[in-house]
Amino acid sequence: MASGASNPLRVAIVDDEALARALLREYLAALPDVEVVAECANGFEAVRAVAELTPELLLLDIQMPKLDGFEVLELIERDVAVIFVTAYDEHAIRAFEVHAVDYLLKPFPPERLAQALERARARLGQPHQAATAELVAAARPPGVPLARVLVREGSKVHVIPVEKLDLVEARDDYVCLRSGGREYRKQQTLASLAARLDPARFVRVHRSFVVNVERLGRIELYAKDSRIAILTDGSRIPLSRAGYARLRELL
Amino acid sequence: MHPILAYRGRLGAYLVAWVPLAAWLATALHQSAGYEWLEASVLALPLAVLYAFICLAAWYPCRAASPRLVPLARIVATQAVAAGLSAMLWLFLADTWAVFLEQVPRFATMGARFPTAVPVLLAGGVILYALAAAIHYLLMALEETRRAQTQALELEVLAREAELRALRAQIDPHFLFNSLNSISALIGGEPRAAREMCIKLADFLRESLRVGTAPSIPLAQEVALAERYLAIEQARFGARLRTEWAIAPDVQACPVPPLLLQPLVENAVLHGIAASVGGGCVRVAARRSGEMVRIEVENPADADAPPPSEPGLGLANVRSRLAATFGPAAALEVRQSAGVFHVALAFPAATGRGN
Repeated sequence: MASGASNPLRVAIVDDEALARALLREYLAALPDVEVVAECANGFEAVRAVAELTPELLLLDIQMPKLDGFEVLELIERDVAVIFVTAYDEHAIRAFEVHAVDYLLKPFPPERLAQALERARARLGQPHQAATAELVAAARPPGVPLARVLVREGSKVHVIPVEKLDLVEARDDYVCLRSGGREYRKQQTLASLAARLDPARFVRVHRSFVVNVERLGRIELYAKDSRIAILTDGSRIPLSRAGYARLRELL
Repeated sequence: MHPILAYRGRLGAYLVAWVPLAAWLATALHQSAGYEWLEASVLALPLAVLYAFICLAAWYPCRAASPRLVPLARIVATQAVAAGLSAMLWLFLADTWAVFLEQVPRFATMGARFPTAVPVLLAGGVILYALAAAIHYLLMALEETRRAQTQALELEVLAREAELRALRAQIDPHFLFNSLNSISALIGGEPRAAREMCIKLADFLRESLRVGTAPSIPLAQEVALAERYLAIEQARFGARLRTEWAIAPDVQACPVPPLLLQPLVENAVLHGIAASVGGGCVRVAARRSGEMVRIEVENPADADAPPPSEPGLGLANVRSRLAATFGPAAALEVRQSAGVFHVALAFPAATGRGN
């Protein structure tokens, strides 16, 4: 996916303020070989635009309603270069951890944007390490457990509050989340997701299962040494010895 | 709190100070009443100790006839009466003691010779009482000074804190940078609007810096400041921000602490408009309700969204400033219902306390 002089750089602008978007459009209009493929006023539009219009570069605001810039990045699951554009400088370190191309502080001169775009072109022209959802999720500020889990389904974003999350099951290279009778897929390892969930409410009961303790009905002895948990909706999940120990400790 | 009894060290020093006084009393008895040294001492020392404790009660008349509250004539009269009473009590106790001493053969004649000691004891009683009263007054004055100093320091600390908070509120960096960015955006396509916004921003900052130092400002001025703020935010949010004002004419002149409304309106924009995809309406109302002024700020609230991480910071500041200015008569209420977040302030209309 090289972008050279013949192919314009496909850029999407994401900012909840109309004036800020207009300013970026004005700056970009003065630069050669740039095509603005989408203008998004919030994170949901951004996820849809990336899925449907495949931009190569995102100019991404961080402070936005409902979904912030990092959450958008977590949901994208495509190799897209990102330049953060924001009035807040406190996210710079996290931006570095998710391999952002650049971090622009509003207000900035047009030359600064041109410089950032050059960096983006250089990055896209070479083999590089993409920011996987895994990486973004891991770069979250520590200490605060997730209050909600974000899942992308095609162009749509589902926001699952943790109270409504019943169960997380590991499958191949993704996890399956069960909530409200539905199942969702998320490109993340069980270990990294479990690390972000509140340990007082979610327990890793098995190599492949993390369960919400409020959904536990009862625990039965299955065979001589193995136990299973029966959830409030009737489904059964195996418990490993370590998992059972963890449950006992908590309850 | 008794200035001597409350401090063990002082009580010790006080009692030690009575030792020379006891010696002086014994000397006086020996010289003027004709008692032998031994007799004088045996009479004087216990009496001195007794009187030392009786004189501690000087605190009560001293407190009642305090130099700050009571004219000098009354002080003199009160203390004279107190001195007379203490001396006579002491005399009575001295007589009892002398009679008791007669039991001891060595002092058998002390009771009969007691009348010669009466003038000494009376005079001594009054003088010693006066001394005690003077010491109590001195200690009370020292206490008063110390308390005044502490209070002054505390007030200064509080004032500094409030100033700091006010400054921080005025120079909210994110508001500043986003506004500057908006101006930058307008320059290309709408230079006139850019200039207007520049001026609005400068006016707002200047005004908020100025009012921050005043103890109170009329409500109309506070509302004007909030209007300016919202006009600047209007450019940032466009159609996402709608504002409604309902300020009753009879509350325009009411004095309020400066920057009382400002944090509420900022919160409303931050949590109600910036956090919402579609935006909504921020409503500000002020009206008279009997003796009180009621101010209400409303903004849309997302019932699903997690509550803001610092729910009380700006509100806590407003609450404490309301309390500091109006005392328990002021109230701040917060509630959320039917998708609307509601903050209501109430405070007395006429004057602030201690302005």
